[in-house]
This record gives sequence, structure tokens and C-alpha cells, in this order.
Amino acid sequence: MFSLIENEVIKMISKKRLLFVIAILVALISVFAYGQHHSSERIKTQLSQRMGISATTDWHKLADQQLIELKNRLDSPYRDEKDKSALRVRIEQLQYNLDNDINPLEQSAAKFTTKFMEQSIFLFLPLLIIMLASDMVSGESSSGTIKLLLVRNVPRWKVLLSKFLTLIMLEIIVLFFAFVLSEIISGLFFGFGGWNAPVATGFKLVAGKLDTSSVLNVPQWRYTLMVYSLAFFVSFVVGSISFMISVLVRSTAASIGIIMSTLVAGNFISYFLSDWKITRYMFMVNLRLTDYLSGSFQPIEGMTLLFSILVLLGWASASIIISFVYFTKKDILV
Amino acid sequence: MFKKSMWYSILVIAFVGFVILANGFYQAILVTTQANPQPTSESAPLESAADLTPSSKNPNTIQMLILGDSVAKGTGDEKSKGFSGYLSEYLKNNTSKEIIADNAGIDGLESTGLLEQLQSHRLEEQLTHTDIILVSIGGNDIRSILTLNSFDKENEFKVRLDRYLSNLKLTFKELRRTNPNSIIIFLGLYNPYEKATNLVDSQLLNSWNFNTQQLVETDGKAIFIPTYDLFKYNTERFVAQDGLHPNSAGYQAISNRISRSLEMIIAGL
Amino acid sequence: MPQTPVLELTNLRKTIKGKDIVKGINLTLHPSQIFGFLGPNGAGKTTTIRMIVGLIKPTEGSVKICGYSVAREFVKALSNVGCIIESPDMYQYLTGMENLLQFAAMNKAISQQRIKDVIEMVGLQHRVNDKVSTYSLGMRQRLGIAQAIISKPKLLILDEPTNGLDPAGITEFRNLIRKLAYDEGMTVFVSSHILLEIQQMCDIVSIIKQGSVVKTANIQDLLQDNDKIEWQLSDPETAISLLREHWNIQASQLKKNTISANIGPHPLDKLNEFLISEGLALTYCSATRNTLEDLFLDLTVGDEIV
Repeated sequence: MFSLIENEVIKMISKKRLLFVIAILVALISVFAYGQHHSSERIKTQLSQRMGISATTDWHKLADQQLIELKNRLDSPYRDEKDKSALRVRIEQLQYNLDNDINPLEQSAAKFTTKFMEQSIFLFLPLLIIMLASDMVSGESSSGTIKLLLVRNVPRWKVLLSKFLTLIMLEIIVLFFAFVLSEIISGLFFGFGGWNAPVATGFKLVAGKLDTSSVLNVPQWRYTLMVYSLAFFVSFVVGSISFMISVLVRSTAASIGIIMSTLVAGNFISYFLSDWKITRYMFMVNLRLTDYLSGSFQPIEGMTLLFSILVLLGWASASIIISFVYFTKKDILV
Repeated sequence: MFKKSMWYSILVIAFVGFVILANGFYQAILVTTQANPQPTSESAPLESAADLTPSSKNPNTIQMLILGDSVAKGTGDEKSKGFSGYLSEYLKNNTSKEIIADNAGIDGLESTGLLEQLQSHRLEEQLTHTDIILVSIGGNDIRSILTLNSFDKENEFKVRLDRYLSNLKLTFKELRRTNPNSIIIFLGLYNPYEKATNLVDSQLLNSWNFNTQQLVETDGKAIFIPTYDLFKYNTERFVAQDGLHPNSAGYQAISNRISRSLEMIIAGL
Repeated sequence: MPQTPVLELTNLRKTIKGKDIVKGINLTLHPSQIFGFLGPNGAGKTTTIRMIVGLIKPTEGSVKICGYSVAREFVKALSNVGCIIESPDMYQYLTGMENLLQFAAMNKAISQQRIKDVIEMVGLQHRVNDKVSTYSLGMRQRLGIAQAIISKPKLLILDEPTNGLDPAGITEFRNLIRKLAYDEGMTVFVSSHILLEIQQMCDIVSIIKQGSVVKTANIQDLLQDNDKIEWQLSDPETAISLLREHWNIQASQLKKNTISANIGPHPLDKLNEFLISEGLALTYCSATRNTLEDLFLDLTVGDEIV
């Protein structure tokens, strides 16, 4: 089994598909980082124009003022208990910024690295994974080499399993590069720090409304870890689905086309048909897992991180089962 | 061999990565499903609320309750005084009376929220003992429609205004049920975006204020304090750095206006 | 024979979308034979081969390789097989060596030495570190054979192996196959629609037509079997009736003094003696050796099947 996976990885390396994916990552991250840099510069100048102060030097004053205000609010007896933890979290963040002399308006590599993945998780990351996964089986079918693999003294399920495990490894590699590259590239723009800054998370949905009562601060590095872990899960699910399509369809181009259009359609669906109940069971609608961490999701009753994960898990396991059943039974006619 | 070493590094990265990511995944589930580990003091607000409630009625003190949104609360005032501060300052200097103010303003409160706040009876205690009730509400009801396009805007405006007015009616009813005698001071809306506003927006805001005033006037012991005119040519001077709330000078200006309207009444209290 | 047959097909059938592609093939191959599987395009050769190596599941019937059923003991059965199915598709983006290493990795029994030996055997030692995409068709074919024999299979299956090879390549290829069969003791199963190839290479041949085997025989026997004899003699009518009565041979009159017949297993000298002893004047006798091609056409194209 081990050597089978090695075979698959070596094929992947030689095919240069992985290299291509990494090249796309480099290009996109660079553009994204430059854009972020540019826009944060612009915000700074806008701020200084509008307020007559230079945001970079005067942010202390602003933050101090905000902090006092927040503390006053926290002491207000008329405040709901559930609002208070949100306030506390905000105070902690400001205090941290003041204590460590970090301008909250400034970007950091840590923030960027996280933000990049949060922005990529529902479309860009899946596309990269699709590029890798769609070729795994259909690539061999279209070149005819699948025959060579299946007439060895290795059962078919083992061949497919080795391919599937290779895909999982590659997903991790893609995330690894996404992380390392965005850290390095954005570090050049914004500096390499920011890994201990507190980030608010722990939002919940109670009775159809965003509930902030259990909000807490976690260090940026832990938050980033969680974001990338969820991204890995998304990659795993999207990978499994495109893997299945790759098993079912003989041509790589067709299998990329099918899964990509599904994905893009999913983004439409989640936008236009959000009150249609059945859409929440579609995998494309559930890809924005990191939104549950940052609390930026559309509050829809019944949609929680756990729900989304279970839906995605259902899709992934169905795909895997179909892949294996079909692959071990089908007649190879190429 | 180059490919061989690449395979080994991929293997190691993938393995280590998997362990780390699995751990992170577990944490992510934990953090979104579990309750907050931070201690929440459930009883604290009740105690402090009790402390603030005046126990005795002093003839030289006036009880005031400030209700409503962030403007009521005093957000934006860099001196953190708000209405309670400026009003009591004024009264101290000009009359023999002293104001004890309770501020129950909440940032971002809309008319619906205010009504809920009152109907929850959390403020019952303060309400019954208060002499003056200062209300600032409605700004958040109307604010979000400004970004809509002009076609949607007018329709949406009507919907919001209707809802707001019916909320306001119920609010007054609720206030009067608890405290039939206090004086209610109702603040009108100003336009913080004066420079960037077109004619239609101004008309909408004026019609909002007009309707509000009509409603306020139906209550015999309520006065409507306009702020629109005060801010119209003074946005630079009176609006805080956040571009929305009044600053210290702005609060001061509104307070002056309130004080002058109240002078005679207060003297009689 | 007490030995387990290398390949045993029992009543092998395949129906795809309601069409019978293969209609019940029975076949038994013994060690060290070179077997030719001859048939026109579309006769079901490739489908049969795919069923042998497990790429397609038979609708009915069974395939046994060295006594192991492909359906039930796939791994054991396939341990004894090396094959090229149609074109020798390899990973174009890998070198020849990397390709072989891929297959070697799938079978623990393959040593580094074996890889080297195989490369030498097929004569690729100079180009083995180049990418397959730069190879000529002949070299790809050789690499294909290398991957097929790398695990020292008892059964080597070659589907249309000389497709696209030039005549020199074909000769070279034929020698290689013969060498493999005799030196390594492999049973070779060659399918082809080219008769000459089979005739030159194989010991045994099966002819397949529209999904059924129409004839299986030793090539020598098959050719002998169908020798056509022409006699020039004095009294053709008498000769024809004599041959029919005494030898059960259907002869026919070609020209005035000439008859011809397929004599089957009967020895020609005995027949000639008989005809002379019956008082016929035999002036000329010739045996036209049937090429397999005549046979092939006879068997598959002709209206009646012998």
C-alpha cells in the first residue's frame, strides 16, 4: 500500500500539476497581498484626511477612548448579559493592542494568512483541489494507463485507495503551501508578527439570532489553525466529490467541468434561494465553515458548524462509497 | 534521486500536517459548540441596578431617566458626560435643583428594541420614580435605508416609518402606564451626513421628524426637541470623529436647548 | 496432461448492451506454448483478453490462470500474468525506468537485478532514462513488453502486439517472443488479425469469428490437414467415385483430366498407390500447400464453415 501511494505521488510530481497549483497560489497570494497593502494605505490616508489626524500615530488616543467607552458600557446595568461577553472580548482585544503597541488598522502576516484562507475556502481552495482530484482516475482512463494498473496482482480497491490517500496527502500539501506562501509573501508587506493577538470567536446561533454570549478571545495562531483545519475538511469533502466524478467520467476535462459548474451554481443557489430549506443540504452551501468561527454568517435557523460538517461528511462518505463500488465493479473498456 | 526525496518530504509534511489539522478541527468544533469558559456574573447587574435606584425622594433632586439609542447614552462624547452630565451642570449653575440621572441608553437600539426593553419591566423601578424621561430613538430605524437606491428607499421608508410610529405609540402607552406624570423629552433626529445628502433624503428625514413630533404632541406632558436645525450648518463642529454621533459640543448644544425648555417646569418640580 | 493448464477458459460469455460479443469460448493452454488467437477485427478477441485479465467481468463462464479463478482469486491469478492490452500506453511524463519502477513497486517479488535484466532483454538500456514521450512506437512496444515480463509471468498476453511496427520491428519482435517462450518458459497468448504473423510465430492457433471459436488446432496439423491435391489422370469420373467410396474423400473435377480434393489426414502416397492399383493412369500430382490465409478466409469469410 505504501509503495502504491509512493507511485501515485511520484506520478503527481512528474505530471507537474502540483507545481501548477502552487504557481497559481503564489500568483494569487501576491496579488491579494499587494491589494491588501494598497487598500490599507488608502484607508489610512482617508482617515487622516477625514479626521485631521494621522491614524498611525493617534490610534492610541482613539483606542483609549474606545476602551473607556466600552468599559462604561460593560458597567451599564441595563445591558443584556449576552451582549456583555462580546464587549469583554472587544475590550480584551483593544487592551492587547494597546499593551503590545499594535495598531488595529495595520495588517499583519498572521491576519493576512488567516483572511486569505477564509476568503478562499468556498471557491478558490476547492478549485485548486478539483484540479488535482479530477485527474486522479480519469487521467489514467483517458491515457489508457488504467489498464496497466488494474492487471497487476493488486486488487482494484487497493489501487483506488492508494489514489484516494494520495489525494488527501496532496490536500494537506496544498494547504501547507497556501499557509507558508501567504505567510512569507504577506510578511514582506506587513511584517511577520501578530501570532499572539487575540481573535474573537465562539459565536452561536440561538433562536435565529447571532448569539454572542459565549464569545471568547483565542490567540491568532490558534484561530489560524482552526481556519486551516476547517479548510482541510472542506478540501477533503470537495476532493472526495471530484474524486467520485473522476471515477465516473472518463475525461479529465469533463470531470473538472462538472464539479466546477456545480460549485459555482452552489454559490448562486446560496445567494438567491437561501430560504428554500432543501438548499442547506447541498454541499456547496455549506463550504463557508470559517464563517461560523468569525461569526460573519447569515443567521439561518438550524445552520451550525456541526450541521454543516455533518452535511459535508454525508456527501463525502456517499462519494467515497460510490467511487469504490463503481470502480471495483466497472468494466474497463478503454 | 530528486523525486524520491520530494516524496519523503511530502510524506512527512502530510503526516505532521494531518495530525496538526485534526487537532485544529477538533478545537474548531469545540469552540463553536461549547459554552463560554469565561465566568459570567449573572447576579452582578441586578445588584448594581438596585444600588442606582434612588431610595428616598429629596425635594431638591430631580430624577431623570434617559432612554433610547447611542445618542441617549452619550456615545461620541469625548468627555464622556452625555446629557446627564451637561444637564445637571446647567441646572446646578442656574437653579437650586440637582439632577440624578439614570442612563439606560443602548448603542444601536431601534424603536422595536426600546419597546421590548420597556415591556420586559426591567426598568419598572426607575420608571415609577422618575420625574423626567429623556428619549432618543429612531436614528437607527432610519439610518440603514440611506444606502438603498432611490426607488426602494421611498417604499422602505414608508414601511419603516409605519413600524416606528406604531412602536412609538406603544412606547408612550407603556411609559404612561408606569408613570403617568413625568415629563417626557423627545429628541428629534439630526442629519450627520449633511454634506453628502440630497434633497430627497432631507425630505424623508423631515417627514420622519414631523410625524414623530405629531405623535409626541398627542401626549400632554411631552415635548419634542428638534435637533435638525441645530446640526444643519454645524455638522463640522457638532459631529464626533466617528461621523455619526454628536461630540461634546454637540451634546452641550442639545442640552442647552433642553435646559431652556425645561427651566420653568423644573423650577416648579 | 497431469500439469495444471496455464490458462483455462470455460464457456466464457460476454453480453454488452444486449449484444453477444463473446459467445461461449472454451480454451486450454499448456506451459511453453505460443498460442495465436486469430480473428478479424471485431470478432471479440480484445473482449476475451480483457476478461482473461479481469478488466471486464464475464457475463457467464470462468477464467482460470494456473488453476486460480480470476473472479475469486484475482491477486493470485494475476500474479502469473503479464500483458499488453492493445496499445502499450505508458506514463508519458515518466522515463522508461520510472515506468518500470512503478510496476516493480506493485509487486514485491521484483528485484533491481530483474529490472536491469529485463531492460537488456528488450534492448532499451540506452534510452531507459529518457521520457517515454520521446520514444518511437517500436521503443514503446519494447517497453510495453518489458513491463509485461518484469514479474516473470507464466502467461504473457499480447493483444495485437505488432500494430504499427515496421517489418524489421516485427521480425525483431517475433524473435523476442520466441526467445521468451523458450528461455523463460512462458506461455504466450498472441492475438492478431494478421495471419502471417500468427503463422510464423505460433504453435497453436484458434480462429475466432463473431464471438465463437471456429477452429483450434496445431498450426502444422492445420496446414497439413487442408493440403489440396490435384491429380491429372485418365478417368476423372471413376477416380472421383473411387475416392468417395473407398476413402470418403470429396473430389471434384477441375478441368478435363484434372480433379482436386482435400485429402484430410490420409497419406498422399497411399492414395496414389490406390489410384494406380485401380488401373488409372496418373500423369501428374501436385499438392498445393494451403497458407493459413486461405484457411482463415475459408473458415471465417466463406459461406460454410468447415
